[in-house]
Order: sequence, then C-alpha cells, then structure tokens
Amino acid sequence: MNLLEVKNLNTSFHIGVGVVQAVRGISFDVAEGESVGIVGESGSGKSVTMLSVMGLLPEYADISADSIRFDGREITKLSKKAARAMHGSEIGMIFQDPMTSLNPLFTVESQLTEPLRIHRHMNKAQARQRALELLRQVEIPNPEARLKQYPHELSGGLRQRVMIAIALACEPKMIIADEPTTALDVTIQAQILDLLQHLKQKTKASIIMITHDLGVIASMCTRIFVMYGGVICEQGSAREIFYDAKHPYTWGLLNSIPKVTGKTGEKLIPIKGTPPDMLKPPAGCPFSPRCRYCMPVCRTYMPPLTALSDTHIVACHLTHPKAPKITKGV
Amino acid sequence: MAEPMIKVRSLKMFFPVGNNLLGKRRLLKAVDDVSFDLYPGETFGLVGESGCGKTTVGRSLVRLYRPTGGQILYRGVDIAPLDEKAVLPYRLKMQMIFQDPYASLNPRMTVSSIIAEPMRLQHAPQETIDARTLELVEKVGLKKDHLNRYPHEFSGGQRQRIGIARALAMNPEFIVCDEPISALDVSIQAQVINMLEELQAQMGMTYLFVSHDLSMVRHISHRVGVMYLGHMVEMADVEELYSNMQHPYTQALMSAVPIADPDQAAKIQRIVLQGDVPQPIDPPPGCPFASRCRYQKPVCREVRPEMREIAPGHYLACHL
Repeated sequence: MNLLEVKNLNTSFHIGVGVVQAVRGISFDVAEGESVGIVGESGSGKSVTMLSVMGLLPEYADISADSIRFDGREITKLSKKAARAMHGSEIGMIFQDPMTSLNPLFTVESQLTEPLRIHRHMNKAQARQRALELLRQVEIPNPEARLKQYPHELSGGLRQRVMIAIALACEPKMIIADEPTTALDVTIQAQILDLLQHLKQKTKASIIMITHDLGVIASMCTRIFVMYGGVICEQGSAREIFYDAKHPYTWGLLNSIPKVTGKTGEKLIPIKGTPPDMLKPPAGCPFSPRCRYCMPVCRTYMPPLTALSDTHIVACHLTHPKAPKITKGV
Repeated sequence: MAEPMIKVRSLKMFFPVGNNLLGKRRLLKAVDDVSFDLYPGETFGLVGESGCGKTTVGRSLVRLYRPTGGQILYRGVDIAPLDEKAVLPYRLKMQMIFQDPYASLNPRMTVSSIIAEPMRLQHAPQETIDARTLELVEKVGLKKDHLNRYPHEFSGGQRQRIGIARALAMNPEFIVCDEPISALDVSIQAQVINMLEELQAQMGMTYLFVSHDLSMVRHISHRVGVMYLGHMVEMADVEELYSNMQHPYTQALMSAVPIADPDQAAKIQRIVLQGDVPQPIDPPPGCPFASRCRYQKPVCREVRPEMREIAPGHYLACHL
C-alpha cells in the first residue's frame, strides 16, 4: 500500500525579480516500508519537494497540488493544526547540518523530549525515560550524561545521531532524510548509514533519502527518483537506474563520477553547461540545453512520461517510437 | 625516476591553543613529522578526514604558513625557514586553488582584475597583462566578454575556473589544489577535473591534490598519501594503494566510501570504525590511530610506528 501519494505538485517562490519555479508538476508515491532516494543537483527541487510535503516552507512559497495523500488522508484538506500534528508525529525529518538544525541554546534532553511532550503528551519523567531509550537506540554511549549536554559539546556524528533520535521520537511512519551525511566525514558517514539501515529494519518506517551522492543512494535505496530542473526526469528501481538508465541526464550523472572498478586514466565525461535558472526555465525539457541528443521538439515541448516497466518511468522524447535509437548513452 | 621537485622532510606545523591549568602552552599538532616527495609532472593525492592536517600540509608547502619544524626542499633549497621576503621568488612558482570558489574571489573585483592581480604585483607591463589575461580565460573555457563581470554573476563551476586562471597566471610549476571540487555539483566536478588533467598534460605542472573524495583522488592521482591526525600513515602509487592497502585506517577509510553501484555496494564488507577522530591537541604517544584500531597491541599505545618501505614505493607506518 502507498504511504505517500503526491499528484501534480507545483511549488514556486515569489522573489523580488520574479517567480522561481522550484518544483513543476511532479507526481510520485512511496510504499510502506520502502526506501526511496531522490537524487539531483543543487537547485533541482529535491529538497523543496519534500519540504512542500512537510509544510515546512515559508509563507511566501506558493504550493499547489492536485492531491497529497499520506496514510490515506488528504494533507491539502487538513486544517493547519491537524496538518501540524500529523507532520510532527507521523513524519520524522533529518536535516543536513546537525549544527544548524539543533538549537544551540537548549540541552539534548529538552530538544529530544519536546516532540514527546507536545505530540505524545508525556510528562517530564516519562519523556526523559523515552529519551534515554532513544539515545540507546541510536547507539550513543553513556546516554545519561549526553542528555545534559548542549549541541556544541557533541561531535558532528553524535549530533547527527541526536537528530535521528529526535526524528524517531514519536515512532514516525516515514522518515525524510535530507542530505543526512553530507556534512560528515566518510568514516562517520558509514556509521550513520549503517545506523539508518539498522533502524529501518527495526522500525519498518519508510525512508525518503534526499542526496546528490549516487554512492549513498546505491547502498541505501531500492527505488530512485532523478530530479532535474524541478521535474522528475527518470524514476525506477535502483537496478533500472544504475544499469539500465534511459534519460540522458541520468547517463550524464553516472558518467561524471569515477568508476569504482576499472583502471584509472579513463576520462570522465562531464555534462556540458550549467543547470537551468529556475526564474526562467527552458520551455521544453529542462535538460535540453545541455543534452547531446537534443532534438528540435525537446526545446518546445515538455516530454511526456513513458512507463517502461511497473517502476521505470522516463520523461524523455527519445523514448518516442519515431525518435532515433540510442542504445548506450554517453 | 626523475629527481623530486619538492622533498618534504619531517614537516611539523603546530598551532598554540591557549594554556592548560598549569600555564603550560597547549599545542594543536596539525601536522607532525610528515615526509614525502613530489616528482615533476605528477599528481600527488592527499586524503584523510577533516582535521587530519591535509590542508595544513598544502598550505605549508606554498608557505602560507611558516612550518614549526622540518624541511621543505624545493629543487634543493630549504624554503621552510625563509622569511616572507626571501620566500617570494619561490612562491611565484607555486600557486593554490582553494576549496570555496565563493570565498576565494574578491566580490568587488572584476574577473579581469582578479586574474591580472598576480601579474600586476610583479609589475608586468600592461600590454602583457592584457594579452595574458585573455589567453588565460580562454584556456579555462570562459569567454572574453566574461572579463568585465563580477564573481557573483558566475556559477560555482565557472568561479572555480576563474580561480584556476588566477593560479595559472604566473606559469607555476606546482599547484596545491585544496578540495577544488568539493563545493561543486557532481556534473560540474567532472568538468573541473578534466580541465585540471588537460592543463597538466599541456603544461606539465605538478599537483598536490588535497581531497576527502577518495574515488576522485583515485581517478586523478599518480601517487596517494593517507593522513590521520597529523601523520602520514600510508603512501603508495595509486593502483598499489587501492588494491593492496595495508594500514587498518586506510582499509576502514576505503571501505567506508559509498559505491555508486548497487550490486557492488551489496557485496562490500564495510569496516565501521567506532568513535570519532580524537583531538590533535597534546596527542598521546604511540600510533595516532591506536584508539580506534581493531588490531591494536600494547606497543601501539607507546611507540610511534616509523614509516618504512614495505614494497617498492609503498610506505607504511604501522606496527603490524
């Protein structure tokens, strides 16, 4: 069953010089217990998508969607208060930088017990008990002492563990992790990814992982959405994306990172040009100005979604039966 | 093999960080006894986690810092103890590309004045400066009409190109690339890496490539050194290091790298290190990695392992 269903989500920001169209009509769903990855570069709309679903964007953001259903309920129709209660207790969020997302003025205890007291109406002693349990669950040694500490007394890895504990506090059905390991060193990143895997098995929550790191996605996620210029240009199972990608942008992404195996000295194939300016996105396919297979139609019409299998959906004019056949893209 | 261009011997860089209770100076030993050679035309990759001292090594080599001890022999001359004025002629041959292309370009200067500044400081004639600036922007793949714009008008990748053009202005022999791609998007990283490789092929420069991105270091480097807590723990040719790593830290570091290939990722046995990197302030004697090492023996806590050559060109500092 689908835990989250989003239909035709559009998010734009009105800023002084115009309207930034960050997310442009995307639809997707996430099943119960599934781990989904959203990849894309900065400005591709991957974070804004999830922040829109979470209702965490500022007032001046203009969000519209045909439907956003979470666990059978229509979020767009809920009152502000009801939506807030649902977001707070049923969806946990882990942010990129634990230094800026934890409040430096409050102890670990007060930040960890806050959601419990608000959403679970626990008293102080109960909340404290649960907080200790959570710290143990995220494998923080010596949790009693840690509760009394402030964020600056913790290392980056420990702070991220505290963030995860807060996200787990109300036993959410879904966890959104927005670049959870980008600010961490690679050995600490391995610890955190390990912990997330482990917690996922234990709690059975769905995980949506937002990242630009294809390596993190490959080890964590079973299904992948590739975003570019505010749209999902390709989605599919991890195997379909890594071994059988059909969108030139996905090819480009995979070719611009060094191969794991294979000898050095092989040239990287970069994607030419720079990502689009979302103040005035290209009329047709957002990738068309950088695409080496661009056809005239790509510049004027947004490509339709083509389903190649139950999971594999591509938005590219090359999938049209009359388009030139490109077997192995570079 | 050719004669090394730069020989680094027992390089030490300590920073004072206040006093302890007894009023004794506490020292942050950012780099402690690091030795290696750089050969002309090669790329030496320096990897490690934050705080391991890799950036400090890079900055010491171009003498942005004055090392606390040790030697930096640049074509036979020890530039480590030279004062600001005496080091200038050597510095002309060494340049640096910085990590953050947003912070390393002056927002009030146009692109042409940024690129021309090193030449202007050398009192080059204006015609030479103009011609060279134009040549440089074209070399790094920017256009002539970009010259009169300001840094904020460019994307991260383009800014990094401006930084590279500035570094090339004085025709350096040696460039320290300090995390040149970590602030860039994946598709742009490959552009910058390819450009650095092409420039090296054309002009035969030597790079010290400081990075925490192990797969990119593997791609671009000829030799690689692994640092931990101010010490070099292992150093070898790139293929040797990645296929036959010996130090427990190198093994843990490499296994922690996420692999962008689901089948490979499922196969890999990750060595997950416990705990965090200790502080390099007043570090204990013995092996720097002893506190997190799976194989530690009593000797590791007491005696610093010496760097020894275990195979031709493969150096290791470990008691095992």
